[in-house]
Amino acid sequence: MRHHRVTALAMITLFGSAAFSVALADTTINFLHKWPEPENMAYFEPAVEAFETANPDIDVEMEAVADEPYKDKIRVLMASRQVPDVFFSWSGEFGKNFARGGRAYDITDYVYDGEWEKVFPEAALQPFKFEGRLYGVPINVDAKFMLYNTSVFEEHGIEVPETFDDLLAVCATLNEAGVVPINFGNQFPWAASHYIGEIIAKLVPNDVRTADYALTRPADELYTHTGYVEALTAFQQLNDEGCFNRGSNALTHPIARGSFLAGRGAMIYMQMVEFGRISGSPIDESGWDFFTLPAFSDGAGDPGIITGAPDGFMISSETENIDEAIQFLKFLTTPEQAKQYVDITGMTSSVKGAVTAENADERVLQGLKYLDAASGLALWLDTDMDARSTEVLLAGAQGIIGGTETPEGVMEEVRHTAKLVQQER
Amino acid sequence: MSSRIHRIVPYLFVLPPLILLAVFVYGPAFENVIFSLHSWSSINPDWEFVGLRNYRQLFANPVFWVSLSNNTLYAVISVIVQVFVALGIAAVLSAGIFRPRLNTFFRTSVFLPAILPVTVVGLLWQLIYQPSIGLIDQFLFSTGLGNLSRVWLGEEQTAIYAIILVSQWQWTGYMVALFMVAIAAIPTDLYEALEMEGATRIQQFRYVTLPGVRESTLIFTVITIFGAFKVFDIVWVMTAGGPNRASEVLGTHMYRSAFRDDVVGYSSAVATVIFVITICVGIVQLMLQRDE
Repeated sequence: MRHHRVTALAMITLFGSAAFSVALADTTINFLHKWPEPENMAYFEPAVEAFETANPDIDVEMEAVADEPYKDKIRVLMASRQVPDVFFSWSGEFGKNFARGGRAYDITDYVYDGEWEKVFPEAALQPFKFEGRLYGVPINVDAKFMLYNTSVFEEHGIEVPETFDDLLAVCATLNEAGVVPINFGNQFPWAASHYIGEIIAKLVPNDVRTADYALTRPADELYTHTGYVEALTAFQQLNDEGCFNRGSNALTHPIARGSFLAGRGAMIYMQMVEFGRISGSPIDESGWDFFTLPAFSDGAGDPGIITGAPDGFMISSETENIDEAIQFLKFLTTPEQAKQYVDITGMTSSVKGAVTAENADERVLQGLKYLDAASGLALWLDTDMDARSTEVLLAGAQGIIGGTETPEGVMEEVRHTAKLVQQER
Repeated sequence: MSSRIHRIVPYLFVLPPLILLAVFVYGPAFENVIFSLHSWSSINPDWEFVGLRNYRQLFANPVFWVSLSNNTLYAVISVIVQVFVALGIAAVLSAGIFRPRLNTFFRTSVFLPAILPVTVVGLLWQLIYQPSIGLIDQFLFSTGLGNLSRVWLGEEQTAIYAIILVSQWQWTGYMVALFMVAIAAIPTDLYEALEMEGATRIQQFRYVTLPGVRESTLIFTVITIFGAFKVFDIVWVMTAGGPNRASEVLGTHMYRSAFRDDVVGYSSAVATVIFVITICVGIVQLMLQRDE
């Protein structure tokens, strides 16, 4: 009998508290991002809790999937009309696609309210704009650098290369010494896209390149600039002259990164957000530094450009909770939250003043200085070009490494695909 | 009255599964054909009727033919290994050649890979195939056979074979187990009779085991071919269809088209082709069974 009373009491408490919490949270916003790693969730989970505490009438349902599957997941959700209220997006064509298809909310008037826009550098907002309207809020900014093992460079008397030819010469010196020049894992060929994207930006004039990526040039002129073939030829040179480790098409980037961190290579092309992984590794003890991918002496593009982009969040155009979604994004981009984000994740933030000497590694600050000094940003190629042409280019890059494709042949296929996409758009 | 009820009752029993099949199998398959006649993407909700354009693009795409030939290769090798080699192993294990304990050990050993998740198997073999640090390369270099080393998953010539090998490693044991069940169902007095006649074990296999498992062999062959044309997971985990689409199969081509290239109509056309191929295999099976 007593047991029954206890059970009844427990049930009443349970249902009562459930009813209470339902009564408290009037609105639920779904939030999907691509940082499920423990070090990143260590920021997002408390951040969501803090937001819910500050806004007891809003419940945030958070879900996170990793980088590669995110590209598939968001498309499935789009197709099945289950788009989360707030979702992650890369900047550039990846995000513009959502804007073009009418799936992202035009948040121009919310962000440019006289206050919120001051939080971000305009350069971080720009890649989220489509036809002059803003569709995304940046959360971080990332860039790609060539990291090198300072001990190896010193041991072989190598200077930081200033031109692309110098880089090839460095590879030759290292090969002679029996050292793997660049650790490279291209099983998932986005890794090649970062090299190729930056080389293209250095060899093709900016206006031509961006118009090609946006497919706004006349069909018969798309991707016809000679810089594209030159860029793929330069990438081929890196491979053929032994800059990369053996079997790069069969290695993933994390494995290549592991080799570099273990001291089994002299250089690696790596993102600033990965700098946090170096701490405590053998390379951390032997010493490391980084430089931007060197320019070409006669490139028609922008020699000072570097690969990098802000990542951010968009709001679904079908959301019924636009005010709450905006409130949530405003919360995530307050200076306090941005500082927490940098503190915990080790990533950079797109919020002005969030990255300081107190909460960030000196290398990250140095990277941000490079970003400031850069004449422009070449967004991640695989999210800046249209998806179909990118897939052709990336498969072609694997073929170039395997010796089964030529730069001319790959660009011919890219042109053909880009024309098809342009026609269908 | 009662005879009418007797006539209706069987249909009532068959009705629920028929409804489920119609809703979850035939309906989506039919809907997929309609999808394939349109141009649409997951992001852009506008549908445009394009007739057979997706099919024309599909047949003009060299990647489709690479995928189809990879699936065919997959099917041929799988039938040879998972049906014929598996039958041989099953016959040996069922013949009582080994002591019972050893027999159990062999049976468990060959079956074990089948209980591992495909993703785990894919990642495991990815490590085994790793250039320089992988088990295969380590073995080759340590035995002085370094010149035979290849970048197994990274070379266009070897990638699909490397994946097919893994599939055989995983599923042959499973087929062995199925064949052992089929062999166990053959009356033992047939073997005893032949033994008394002085038949060798090979003759017993030829004249009793083979005819006894003919029906099962046909069904297992068809299941293996179905599996080979529907394969997706192991390829996606190990190479994602690369390098340079060399290990692409119809399943990965379909997936990439839908979720990377965002051409869902085209992807549905690939799905329809897979459907037609498997239907054809099914019809051939039915015809052969009818002949029996």
